[in-house]
Amino acid sequence: MKVLKIEEIVQGILDGNRRAVSRGISVVENDYDTAAARRIIREIFPHTGHAQIVGITGPPGIGKSTMIGNLSATLSKKGFRISVVAIDASSPFSGGSLLGNRIRMQESLSKYGVYMRSLANRGLNGGLSRSVWDTVKILDASGSDYIIVETVGAGQADLDIVNLADTVIVVLGPGLGDEIQAIKAGIMEIGHVFVINKMDRQGAFIAMKDIEETLAMSPKGEWKPPVIGVNSLNGEGYEAFIEKIQEHRSFVKSHSDLTMRKFRTELQRTILEELRRRFESDISHFLSDNEEIKQLVRDKIDPYSAAEKLVKKIA
Amino acid sequence: MDPGKNQSLFKDKPIKILLAKPGIDGHDRGILVLAKAFRDAGMEVIYVGLLPTPEEVVDTAINEDVDVVALSLLNGAHMTVFKKVADLMREKGVRDIAIVGGGTIPDADKPKLEKLGITGNYGPGTPIAEIINHITERAAEIRKLKATGE
Ligand SMILES: Nc1nc2c(ncn2[C@@H]2O[C@H](COP(=O)(O)OP(=O)(O)O)[C@@H](O)[C@H]2O)c(=O)[nH]1
Ligand SMILES: [Mg+2]
Repeated sequence: MKVLKIEEIVQGILDGNRRAVSRGISVVENDYDTAAARRIIREIFPHTGHAQIVGITGPPGIGKSTMIGNLSATLSKKGFRISVVAIDASSPFSGGSLLGNRIRMQESLSKYGVYMRSLANRGLNGGLSRSVWDTVKILDASGSDYIIVETVGAGQADLDIVNLADTVIVVLGPGLGDEIQAIKAGIMEIGHVFVINKMDRQGAFIAMKDIEETLAMSPKGEWKPPVIGVNSLNGEGYEAFIEKIQEHRSFVKSHSDLTMRKFRTELQRTILEELRRRFESDISHFLSDNEEIKQLVRDKIDPYSAAEKLVKKIA
Repeated sequence: MDPGKNQSLFKDKPIKILLAKPGIDGHDRGILVLAKAFRDAGMEVIYVGLLPTPEEVVDTAINEDVDVVALSLLNGAHMTVFKKVADLMREKGVRDIAIVGGGTIPDADKPKLEKLGITGNYGPGTPIAEIINHITERAAEIRKLKATGE
């Protein structure tokens, strides 16, 4: 295979070809605002919608990657096609990143031939990367039954996953100390399944009770988030865990308003981005015009009025 | 960000590199030191610890669509293991991932590795800046290849 052309990438994605899937993801990651990236997404989009996107979030070190290794193995054994995306933070200083989530799942990935991709967040806040939205579309169109997404793992800040995933798994465990209160403040509302990992450790049952009590006090929707204890070192609790994931899949499938809500949120973000892109050069052109700025300063025009005037002119 | 660290070619598109130590001898802290140095040079580094087989190295490189695979071996098996990685890449038709080597490699083996397309082949104690420069050059070739087909 030589260097891949866009039509080969598209066809390859639909055929489930790994090289094409990988290259497609690189295109949407590195060249996301180009015609090539848009063409890929446009052409594969009609083939998306089958996969269940399962987000895994929780504080660092709680066992998310280990858990994904187990989930990949168990779900693969049941005959499902699994893909994994794991996101790590980029260094704000160098722009580089150490993508280390693979270590904890490599054995299962190799054994069951699971596709896994590591992404750096490239400075995006919220626990995801810009590219993950298109990455899951590519993996969906390539025939995945489940796409498991690991968030950066900054605890209470990792809330964007609720807009991306059909099913959000919040992983907590013993030994989080006072930190747990801060983490809970953000993530109690976004979880569809709460998992207490490291049930082999002291304090696990207390952590479980704590989460159950917090949930009991939360406002109730139609879906009641369960709390499941697991031990990711020996696989205990995984059958019940996977049952809950599948139950939530059925719940989502029977509630079309959830799909609409997801699409609406993504559309909103995309429109805002499109607007910004459209007017970016006008705005920076205006901002770099020294004469304009000098005049605004001299006339003591407040920033709101100045901005309104500019927007009127360009929009 | 330090000026010049992220040259324009790699601006917003950092070099993606897989650091692999094929085999099962797990006593090499050196590779984590390298991983961090590469990150600090602005690269996105896939760090997997051990990847036991050349097949796993190649599959991981393809799935992650890296620009460069950096192979490191200290046990003297490079002529078989590095070669196997290069052969598998060729068999799978992958020519847009660069392979660089490192470890305890006798000078006599280096031209043979180069012939297989495995460059660098730095020994322990090589200044990291030299390794990073080499990787950046190879990544630039690969990016050009991906963009233009040549
Ligand atoms: N005792 C115990 N350790 C676990 C369990 N699950 C994961 N770990 C360990 O927790 C550490 C962090 O795991 P990792 O999956 O990398 O966490 P992540 O940062 O949330 O992705 C590793 O050393 C795992 O072996 C568990 O159920 N019990
Ligand atoms: Mg992890």
